Amino acid sequence: MTDVSAITAESIMPLADAVADTVSPAVRMRGLSKRYDERWVLRDITLDVPTGSYLALLGANGAGKSTLLHTLAMLSPATRGELSLFGESATRPSPTLRARLGMIGHQPMLYRDLSAVENLVFFGKLYGVSRPKQRAIDMLERVGLADRAQSVVKTFSRGMVQRLSIARALMHAPELLLADEPFSGLDVPSVQAVSALLAELHADGKTVILTNHDVRQSLELAQRVVVLGRGRVVSDRPVRDADVDDVTREVIG
Amino acid sequence: MTQVLRQIVLLSGKDLRIEARSRQTLGLVAVLGVLIVVVLGLGLGPERVKSGMAATAVLWVAYLFGGVLCFEKTMAVERHDGALAGLMLAPIDRGVIYAGKLLSNLTLMLALALIVTPVAVVMFGFDLSAAPFGFAAIMAGGFVGFAAIGTLFAAAVSSTRSQGGLLAIVVFPVSLPLVIVSTQMMMRLFGEGEPLGAVGLTVLIAFDAVYLVVSWLVFELILEP
Repeated sequence: MTDVSAITAESIMPLADAVADTVSPAVRMRGLSKRYDERWVLRDITLDVPTGSYLALLGANGAGKSTLLHTLAMLSPATRGELSLFGESATRPSPTLRARLGMIGHQPMLYRDLSAVENLVFFGKLYGVSRPKQRAIDMLERVGLADRAQSVVKTFSRGMVQRLSIARALMHAPELLLADEPFSGLDVPSVQAVSALLAELHADGKTVILTNHDVRQSLELAQRVVVLGRGRVVSDRPVRDADVDDVTREVIG
Repeated sequence: MTQVLRQIVLLSGKDLRIEARSRQTLGLVAVLGVLIVVVLGLGLGPERVKSGMAATAVLWVAYLFGGVLCFEKTMAVERHDGALAGLMLAPIDRGVIYAGKLLSNLTLMLALALIVTPVAVVMFGFDLSAAPFGFAAIMAGGFVGFAAIGTLFAAAVSSTRSQGGLLAIVVFPVSLPLVIVSTQMMMRLFGEGEPLGAVGLTVLIAFDAVYLVVSWLVFELILEP
């Protein structure tokens, strides 16, 4: 019979580490660097993002947050270093690997002359979603745009476009969501709705990596916070160990 | 294979749906094509206008300029609001994106030809019924190669700042051999010299094959979100 009282956090840590090693993290970066012309925008980034975690990437403008997300999304290759997603190298990503990823970018990645539902059905079909029309309607309901399903995107407000963009990114139920400042341009109710949506996704066991300028909000949403500065990792800590003022100081640099 | 074809049709169908709704490209291209035929027809005068050589040359000028506009517009749709990044994120081969764009461009060029060619027939009075299938075969051969190269360069140029003029500057010289073969074949088909026949068509198909394969391979390398 095991003496339960003898189990301490310290005693189970090696076991937890061993289990973690057998499960591929959602994202593994090793010495990831990215150069545009002569300027290094990412420098030697080494990070693991475990499957099912919620990570907030913070940093001032130009710190490299968006570039890092673009690299993770395999939209542009790293200049140096290794990147693997779910244990698979991202150098020549398979369609299956791409299908496990969703991204909300600075731009909505939508067609303004198509309606909301047409956009979602189009992307749903590209991802091989079964019953894409029904899924599109469900997603529009989740982001509060069901009543505008047939309206063309160019008639939408900034906030509505952002919500539709989130629906597009979630159409194929990705296992890893990369969200590049998803709250920018949203009013308070929309921010709350999107926050709830991301939290729901995380609760479903999906991995979320979010970039944000709002330190306090990031600490409320995420489990772990990484601060980037001039393309390098400045700090990396669980949210429970993070103080708003300290993190803000690190972001400002 | 079926899945790839389905994806190509899906991408092209999306482009054509957007075009049917906005009518931005075809309207512009048709007006440009008709203007080229009419202005050059009037400029050449009543004597030269009657020659098959003038008619085919003018038609190709209209097809080329109209085609370049089609390439620009179909790629501009992807540049708006970062839609291209959305496609690049999707689990599809980059070659599928190329093929989808190529199919859209070919469809628009075919629509342009259906509008401009009858105008040229009326304007120049050349007898298309003398060799309708030969005309269609040469046009198809010329269009495939020209659209293959144009689709590639439109993607490359769309990520630069100087989009408008640059595309024509790079596409015209590269497609020159194809245009020369096509116009020569058409001139001879409509009574100026010996028809090039099967030899000409083989050369045209060879050009098409080279342009298609090279463009398909290079497209992945030049595509930027």
